[in-house]
Amino acid sequence: MVNSNSEVGVAVVTGAASGIGAEVSDRLSRTGYRVAGLDLRESDTDFPLTADVSDHQAVHEAVDRVTEELGPVSLLVTVAGYYEMIPVQEITLEAWRRMLGVHLGGTYNACAAVLPGMLEAGGGTIVTVSSELALGGGSEDAHYAAAKGAIIGFTKSLAVEVADRRIRVNCVAPGPTDTPLLEPTSPWRDQGFLETLPLRRLVRPNEVAEAVLFLVEEGTFFCGQILSPNAGAVI
Amino acid sequence: MRTGNRLEGTVALVTGAGQGIGRATALRLAAEGATVAVNGREPAGKIDEVVEACGGVPAIADVSDPVAVEGMIAAVEGSAGPIGVLVANAAYMSMGPFLEQNPDDWWRQIETNLSGTFYLIRSVLPQMRRLGGGRIVIVSSEWGVTGWPNATAYAASKAGLISLGKTLGRELAPEGIITNVIAPGVTDTPQLEQDARDADVSMNEIKARYAAEIPAGRIGNPEEIAATVAFLAAGKSAALVGQVLQPNGGSTRSWA
Repeated sequence: MVNSNSEVGVAVVTGAASGIGAEVSDRLSRTGYRVAGLDLRESDTDFPLTADVSDHQAVHEAVDRVTEELGPVSLLVTVAGYYEMIPVQEITLEAWRRMLGVHLGGTYNACAAVLPGMLEAGGGTIVTVSSELALGGGSEDAHYAAAKGAIIGFTKSLAVEVADRRIRVNCVAPGPTDTPLLEPTSPWRDQGFLETLPLRRLVRPNEVAEAVLFLVEEGTFFCGQILSPNAGAVI
Repeated sequence: MRTGNRLEGTVALVTGAGQGIGRATALRLAAEGATVAVNGREPAGKIDEVVEACGGVPAIADVSDPVAVEGMIAAVEGSAGPIGVLVANAAYMSMGPFLEQNPDDWWRQIETNLSGTFYLIRSVLPQMRRLGGGRIVIVSSEWGVTGWPNATAYAASKAGLISLGKTLGRELAPEGIITNVIAPGVTDTPQLEQDARDADVSMNEIKARYAAEIPAGRIGNPEEIAATVAFLAAGKSAALVGQVLQPNGGSTRSWA
């Protein structure tokens, strides 16, 4: 039995096993949250759960377990995702569906799973994760940008729908970040590309986590907004 | 409140700091460890009060006067050290139907809100360059994003600030000077007293009218905007470059 005495609250973080999700989980833990990490593999969090976020039933069951073990979920951060570049005419139906299923479907599934508890508790915070590519687009990024762009529309609509019930929903749209999501040979790591960024470097995972933590802890008048720590890639 | 010593050893200049968002920002940055230079247009009791509460220094100048701004910024360096954080917040607003606004009123708003910020950044940049970096936070307005009836000059000046911030974000980030913009929604400040007088209603009534148009069901408070300034001025937020942050309770759509 996990300790259910939580000073700050219970957080669910999807994609908690690596990269931005792991960084966010770590920051939340240090802030006092009890963190349940959902990922395809086990995460280094207080309450690791394995589930595919595109699986509606599995996500609901996972959130039910979190609620039973840790208590009502007061914070959700939806980080789970993956990245691949494919020329648009080569995107298979399967690749398209998978991309939308994980990003948009995964965000929807997790939000739908935690919302009843937040509505009952009379409050909560949700931070979704989109991408700078949803704002600026990118060559060979059509299915990724479409999925990430849909998260923005979803976030803004959910935000105004539940704002008067003290649930705050916002989004962080990172630029190219130095995580395992970017392979060593990724064009986003190319020095020539980095020179085009006003900041001249990749975004650091702790900078994305900082934006998430700001929205959680102090962004109390933000509603349906997109914060984009992107090194100046899209202004 | 996530305070700490994130701005220990940093000098921060906050303009229009005698009341409202500027005052809350000065207090917040001081709580983060900054030495705050508290700007007002002229010497006044409310400036002295903020200076004392911050343990800071006064910085008196009308931001629309480039010579006065230059002198003020040199004086701040002399008394407190080079400025590493600039919060350009001072503003003037006058509302009225477009054709009833006279050119003097138009220019006073453009000069204070837009040109004033240009004068401030121009004068503060050499100090930030000597420090090897800095943070510039420009306070625009939701109306600079959306426009607003009867606020043409104000909205135009605030939209100009957004483009100024985006451009300087691009231009200065390579040397470690990070510029961003905040466009707050309706906030509980003394400006609302003017709005209430213009609409000939009570303060409570004007707040209720604004709140009814905001999905969050309330107007903002100055401390929430100050926390956003502190995030951009002090946090590990350098990857935000030329961005426009909009703490507005979700009021981006026309409800009226």
